[in-house]
Amino acid sequence: MLSEIKVALRGLAKSPGFTVIAIATLALAIGANSAVFSLINALLIRPLPYQQPSRIALIWEQFATQGLDRIPVSPPEYLDLEKEFQSGTQLAAFTYQTFNLGGGDVPERISGAVVAPSLFPLLGVEPIKGRTFAREELGQGHDDVIVISERLWKRRFNSDPTLVSKSLLLNSRSYTVIGIMPARFEFPIPLFGVQGNQFAERVDIWKPLAFTPLELKERGSRSYGLLTRLRPDVPLATAQAELDKIISNWIQTYRDNYGGGGFGARIYPLHDQVVGGMRTGLTILLGAVVFVLLIASANLATMLLARASARERELAIRVALGAGRWRLLRQMLTESVLLGLAGAASGVILSVWGLEFLKEIGARTIPRLGEVNVDLTVLIVTTVVGVGTGILFGLIPAFASAKPELTEALKEGGRSSTSGARRNQVRNSLVVAEIALALVLLVGAGLLLKSYARVQNIDPGFDRRNALTAEIDLPETKYPQRGSADYRHGEAMISFWNEALRRVQQLPGVEAAGYTIVLPLSGSNTDSSFAIEGRVLGKNEPGPDEELRIISPDYFRVLKTPLLRGRFFAESDNGDAPGVVIINDALAKKYWPNEDALGKRITFDDTRKPDAKWLTIVGIVRSIRHRGLDFDPQPEYYLPLAQRAQSSMILTVRSAQDPRNLASAVRREIQAIDPDQPIANVRTLEAVTADSIAPRRLSVVLLGAFAGIALLLAGVGIYGVISYLVVQRTHEIGVRMALGAQRGDVLRLVVGHALKLVGIGTVIGLVLALLSTRTLSALLYSVGAFDATTFVLVTVALAAVALLASYIPALRATRADPMIALSHNA
Amino acid sequence: MIRLRNLERRYPLAPGKFFYVLRDISIDVAEGEFVSVMGPSGAGKSTLLHILGMHDHGWDGEYFFNDTAVHHLKAKERAALRNEQIGFVFQQYHLLDDLTVYENLDIPLSYRKVNKTERAAMVADTLDRFQIVAKKDLYPRQLSGGQQQLVGVARAIIANPKLILADEPTGNLHSSQGEEIMELFQKLNSEGTTIIQVTHSEKNAGYGNRIIQLRDGWVVEGNKK
Repeated sequence: MLSEIKVALRGLAKSPGFTVIAIATLALAIGANSAVFSLINALLIRPLPYQQPSRIALIWEQFATQGLDRIPVSPPEYLDLEKEFQSGTQLAAFTYQTFNLGGGDVPERISGAVVAPSLFPLLGVEPIKGRTFAREELGQGHDDVIVISERLWKRRFNSDPTLVSKSLLLNSRSYTVIGIMPARFEFPIPLFGVQGNQFAERVDIWKPLAFTPLELKERGSRSYGLLTRLRPDVPLATAQAELDKIISNWIQTYRDNYGGGGFGARIYPLHDQVVGGMRTGLTILLGAVVFVLLIASANLATMLLARASARERELAIRVALGAGRWRLLRQMLTESVLLGLAGAASGVILSVWGLEFLKEIGARTIPRLGEVNVDLTVLIVTTVVGVGTGILFGLIPAFASAKPELTEALKEGGRSSTSGARRNQVRNSLVVAEIALALVLLVGAGLLLKSYARVQNIDPGFDRRNALTAEIDLPETKYPQRGSADYRHGEAMISFWNEALRRVQQLPGVEAAGYTIVLPLSGSNTDSSFAIEGRVLGKNEPGPDEELRIISPDYFRVLKTPLLRGRFFAESDNGDAPGVVIINDALAKKYWPNEDALGKRITFDDTRKPDAKWLTIVGIVRSIRHRGLDFDPQPEYYLPLAQRAQSSMILTVRSAQDPRNLASAVRREIQAIDPDQPIANVRTLEAVTADSIAPRRLSVVLLGAFAGIALLLAGVGIYGVISYLVVQRTHEIGVRMALGAQRGDVLRLVVGHALKLVGIGTVIGLVLALLSTRTLSALLYSVGAFDATTFVLVTVALAAVALLASYIPALRATRADPMIALSHNA
Repeated sequence: MIRLRNLERRYPLAPGKFFYVLRDISIDVAEGEFVSVMGPSGAGKSTLLHILGMHDHGWDGEYFFNDTAVHHLKAKERAALRNEQIGFVFQQYHLLDDLTVYENLDIPLSYRKVNKTERAAMVADTLDRFQIVAKKDLYPRQLSGGQQQLVGVARAIIANPKLILADEPTGNLHSSQGEEIMELFQKLNSEGTTIIQVTHSEKNAGYGNRIIQLRDGWVVEGNKK
């Protein structure tokens, strides 16, 4: 075996051009496979970084009849489940919360979470310093402790070894740091496709739960996620059955909260929730890189076939000296496996670079991308792929050459034998296969690109140009929240919002400024149920529950969303004025399809109560696509901020010029009011829109890149085969030219052969594409899986590239000197 | 050692029509003979040699090698018999370009599953016998034509075959180099190795003790029954 390796290495060193091209081809293909497998390994296969993650599950509620599922729970529901749910050893509620970290030169907003003390024991991850929450560190007055992430500890505090037990100022309140969680710890884990196109940022601060008295009263105010660790001996079905029973009891006991029917709760294994949304996309990506690998293997096989032709004499000598077929096969496969391994090693380097690039462009698109790396599993798989690929592309030429015609090859002046004809057939078949596979990839990429272009051109219902957004979260300690004794209709908050808006509106270049509680296309959403005046619901009929926005008067002017009927909010729509509401035309059509919605009234209260607060519809605006550019606009309604004070709002500013120039000025104005108040997530509306279609864009970029590589390889394959054909037929071409063939005749001869291969490959490729593009349906928008235009364009493009690749050697053939060609030993 | 009876080799030209390279060849070669096969170009000399060397299987008739009916053997069995009994020397030497002299000598032994230690000893002996020890690490491209053919002959006899077949062994050599090779053949023959060579050269044929003349695929002289 060692001698075969030695001989193979010598042979490859003797042909540096062939060796470099072969290794480069394999590096590209195996590197792509390695990168995609790294993604799959980290995101789908590797267990979640918790103890026994398969037993951890999320509990979501649902209102099936209203089409609402995966709804969080309310504090009263959590506390009830803590007492009643026996199938879980532990239960932990959690929610996101941002913290304004003060105490430095510049205040900073940090993503955090409010969690039950049982969370860390449930997940089974120990801190690297200090401790996690004790059972009694729960509830108002006992929650002034925090645990921070190693990431934050290193970045903001320079890994200060004395940080544990020190105090930090968060939201203008002092908290003691009691522990630091390791860098690999992450909770909550972003759920792809649950929060929408965007996922929440990675959490760096954890604080204990502290339900307010108001939260404890309102059973229907649902904003907490719920995690459980199922008992080892309890199957999921049993736990689900127990949960169904508990829910059934709640419906009987709390009829007012669960009327309308369809209320339920489901247990979702955490791993499925985390990876489920990514499975399809990653599977498609894996299919694409496998295609690229097959094309590269076919290319290598054709190159090795040409090489085997040149080695026919050597192989014949070996047989004459006693080599059996297996020894010859082993010799040839040794060379191809060595190439495969060299390609794999180079491919790993390429994949590391590729993953770094992917982390840059996919950071806001693929959750947990930071965990993706080339680990031992990936290296082992890549090595196996390298060896397997070497065997795959080496097998065909090895078998085609392992039975050389001895007498022809060994005789003086022996001409090419029938085994040469066999090799030509195999080579042609491989090129046909390459073209077919490349066409499938190109069609897929073409369909995705067309989808993407269609989505990009959708009118979202607002003008995304020249508008800046920034998130502002007001801390409770300085700006009392609803339920607090100092709330006073949110005076402090509204005063801040008004002053900030006044200052920003006066900045040079600002055309309009306003607030909203959620930005369109940002991945966030809020909804609330309401009642319509004069509408009586049936016994089990669910009440309306639609998407709710809280905005300031100029918000629609910032977005340039047209007003269809009525008016926008005014400054006079304040806390002392009658309640007002603006709706979009989707909501108007849904609930008042045959009448004018203007002037109609809705309420959040029980309509039977005499003191129910009614809100009058004063305006109807054009619908905005909130959930995504490729989602139809949903019914939405808008309340004025002055009548519904909120502590977290998003400032939106329309500018006459590049809105990014306003960022520092806006920050300055906010901090002029409150030096400890940061602004966060500053981005243009164009960036928000672009981020919303980032997953689609990423699919296009990746599949497009792989299709491009496939096209290049197929072109190289055609070029190689036709070049070899020209060399083989040099003598024949010389004879034809000596007999009167013109340049055009020679071109037709050579290019005609190429056309035949391209034609057959195209037909096979189209059939394969028709069979496979259905898998892309979920990723397409407004484009059918069998879109004729795409199929035709892609076919023409591939044929053009293939013909160009064959034209170059064909042109070379026409320039041959007939006398030299005639003396060529075919 | 060798008995051919009514051996024929033909190629199809068209349905029902054939081109005959060898016709009704019946010859005997005794052990220890040094036979030269001669004839004009296209007489079928090389084809006869390759049939004797069991490289070519597309023939009809009878071929006995030491009483073994080769015509009844399958291709694999013929290859095994060839490996055991026959060494071949080619006009173009046919050394393996990527192997050193040592490795070229070693390769036929490795194909015969001779163990490594024994192979090393046999190669060393052969290098010594042919006085090419100093060249063992050189590649064929670093040797002269005569030296390459010397290595070719050494490779042919390293496994101690009973029969050496040589196809124009001096065809690509200078006369002095050719003489060296023919003298070597003579010496091997005197040590008991049967040699059949194809040659155009009367001088080379003179080193042997019998000449078989072929013309247009027929034996016209030197046949022995």
